[in-house]
Amino acid sequence: MDRVPILSLGDVLLVSIQVDLQDESVVALQEDLAERIVDSGASGVVIDISAVEIVDSFIGRMFATIASLSKVLDAETVVVGMRPAVAITLVELGLSLQGVRTALDLERGLAALRQRRAEREIPLADESDEAVEAPTAAWD
Amino acid sequence: MITEQAEQLLELTTPVVELWEGVVAVPLIGTLDSARTQVVMEKLLQTLIDTGSEHAIIDITGVPAVDTEVAQHLLKTVVAARLMGAECTISGIRPQIAQTIVALGIEFGDIPTKATLADALLYALRNSGVEVVRRRRTGAG
Repeated sequence: MDRVPILSLGDVLLVSIQVDLQDESVVALQEDLAERIVDSGASGVVIDISAVEIVDSFIGRMFATIASLSKVLDAETVVVGMRPAVAITLVELGLSLQGVRTALDLERGLAALRQRRAEREIPLADESDEAVEAPTAAWD
Repeated sequence: MITEQAEQLLELTTPVVELWEGVVAVPLIGTLDSARTQVVMEKLLQTLIDTGSEHAIIDITGVPAVDTEVAQHLLKTVVAARLMGAECTISGIRPQIAQTIVALGIEFGDIPTKATLADALLYALRNSGVEVVRRRRTGAG
């Protein structure tokens, strides 16, 4: 069985699927990925499927499963590089992958993750300023 | 021979044009059947890859009528484009077609629809961060 490699890229995990997926390797990928997200504390997962030419309903559901799995672990999933034939097949199978973010290529996928993170980030209030001001206010 | 010509005709009647950097459009003219919408779907999706476009517009101003099958095909195209990471807008829906769609009970869901191709282009440009500003004429009047 081929194991799909999971690469770490900053705080993003990159899963590049270069082989024809078997059902067992898909299951193994889900387990590996969940473990890696927890170990590395990654904030995003990019699944590159530009080399995948054939999908079935099981693999189609895998994308949705991985997306909801990473969401639980506080990481966002982007599926990138889906081929037209694959997209058509998934639609015909009735898998519209609601809730899975997609991007045309790896570059745009990473950019989307970066943008999402910038939106989500809440700036921490600077405590030192308040600490200096508070005593003077009390004395007045 | 005739089938070959029919295929060529099918290819010719479905042009995919690039309106802007990252915005492609398919102006559909004439009656749609499922064979034609299938060709449109494949061609549009391939163009998205080739040009790296994140916005697609399907303009159906020149389409006199749609049936359930064609509407379903259009919806499938939109969902497939979304799966590939592009956003798809449908523009130029005629009043009769709108009535048909509602009467047939077809759900367009959260698919953006715009009145004209111009509106759809503006929407796509705004979404991709392009600002359209009318330049003030100087020295006029």
